[in-house]
Amino acid sequence: MLVNQLSPGIITLIVIGVIFIMIVLWYIGVMNKLRQLELKVDEAESGIDVALTKRFDMLTKMLDTTKGYAKHEAETLEKVVKWRSGIPENATLEEKAEFQEQMDQVARGINVVVEKYPDLKANTVFLELQQSIRNAEEHLQAARRLYNANVTKINHIIVTFPQSIVANAIHMEKKPYFEAEDRKREDVEMNF
Amino acid sequence: MKNEALTKFNQKKKGIEKHLIIAGAIIILAAIIFFLLYQNNLNTDMMFLPMIIGALGAIYLFVHLAKFSSLKKEFKQTFLKELFASLIPGIEYMPGSGLSSQTVYEGEFLKKADRFHSEDYLQGKIDDVDFISSDVRLEERRVRHTKNGTQVYYVPYFVGRIFRFDFHKELVGRLQVLESGSPKSRRRFKKVELESIDFNKKFRVFSEEELTAFYILTPDIMEAIFALEKRHPGNISFSFSDQQLYIGINNNKNTFELKLFKQLSEEEVEIFKHDLLVIKDVIQSLKLNNNIFKKREEE
Repeated sequence: MLVNQLSPGIITLIVIGVIFIMIVLWYIGVMNKLRQLELKVDEAESGIDVALTKRFDMLTKMLDTTKGYAKHEAETLEKVVKWRSGIPENATLEEKAEFQEQMDQVARGINVVVEKYPDLKANTVFLELQQSIRNAEEHLQAARRLYNANVTKINHIIVTFPQSIVANAIHMEKKPYFEAEDRKREDVEMNF
Repeated sequence: MKNEALTKFNQKKKGIEKHLIIAGAIIILAAIIFFLLYQNNLNTDMMFLPMIIGALGAIYLFVHLAKFSSLKKEFKQTFLKELFASLIPGIEYMPGSGLSSQTVYEGEFLKKADRFHSEDYLQGKIDDVDFISSDVRLEERRVRHTKNGTQVYYVPYFVGRIFRFDFHKELVGRLQVLESGSPKSRRRFKKVELESIDFNKKFRVFSEEELTAFYILTPDIMEAIFALEKRHPGNISFSFSDQQLYIGINNNKNTFELKLFKQLSEEEVEIFKHDLLVIKDVIQSLKLNNNIFKKREEE
């Protein structure tokens, strides 16, 4: 037998070598998994951007329609939103959440205007926009949930030993959640 | 009126059941005579007698089974049709017809069968949502090799109902929510894990786009799917596309059937009603009647 011919020192070296290779393979596996998940988190974040932009566009159109009935109120609402041309490319997640809150505020404002000017409810364009906004809200909610689900997955690996060693080695930190207060979301539901 | 009709069908059914018992008794009698003659090595010339009696019994049995089959058709055409119309105005019920195989496979959660049967077709509209449904039986061909040769037989793998509803939410790709198994399609589905651990345990979610799964399966809808599954036992599958929602319930049940030797009671009628109102339950639970899901005028 070949094993019998090998000296104990060589056997030890082989065992150490095998263990080392296994550790390297495991390290690469965890690293790849983390990178893939990070990519998914980024993709999900761009999904949030798309949904926020869609909602912003719809709300802008709705404000334009509202101007025909309540110019002053619509202009005041317009000023609430920080970015008039949508989300800048380098916006942070916190800024996006803030942007979303501003849009919630606009949506609530539109609700109040509708109560004051019931004629708006008869406007076909307004009704269609209302439908589209609701759709955009649902897309945003889905994008937010998908993002948070991916963040949960990656954070779980980052904080779990021994995968946390790999995460530290490649300087990967816990990802922030995209928070949205459900209570606030309910407030802005466009029910005319 | 309903009670009168029930009494009428019960009387007819009892009459047929009586004849079926007689036919059964004749066949058993023939078998006993045959057995006795054979055991006691009695006059072999007399062997034809039990055979003739048995054949007469079998003919009698088939005649009355055919009568029962006609009674079932009559029951569906008159009683059930009227009952369904009173529960869902405008519903069309065609007991002899069923969904086409093409429609059934469009859901992409059932593999193609070697033997296909469908009946009890229902078509209508509830809260402006169009639906169609029918009982479906799918069987797979199997071959068994024995000493005596090759034997071909069919094994059912889906016995239940298929529903198709209008679904007008804009989707990217298709979404499948299956209680077991995986999609039967050439599409590239990804397995999606949702936030609900319970939901992930109970159902397997497949989607061409992950975002679509989160878009359709909101926490409310997940809860509704859970509740639907509890209310309608069986293996349940959902397939969402941007035009239609397909649902399959594999419960090993042939719905809307009169049963032999079981009285047609009010309770039985309630079961028929429940089986019909699954449609309404789905539309309301999954909120298919919300404006966002309805067909728009210009479409």
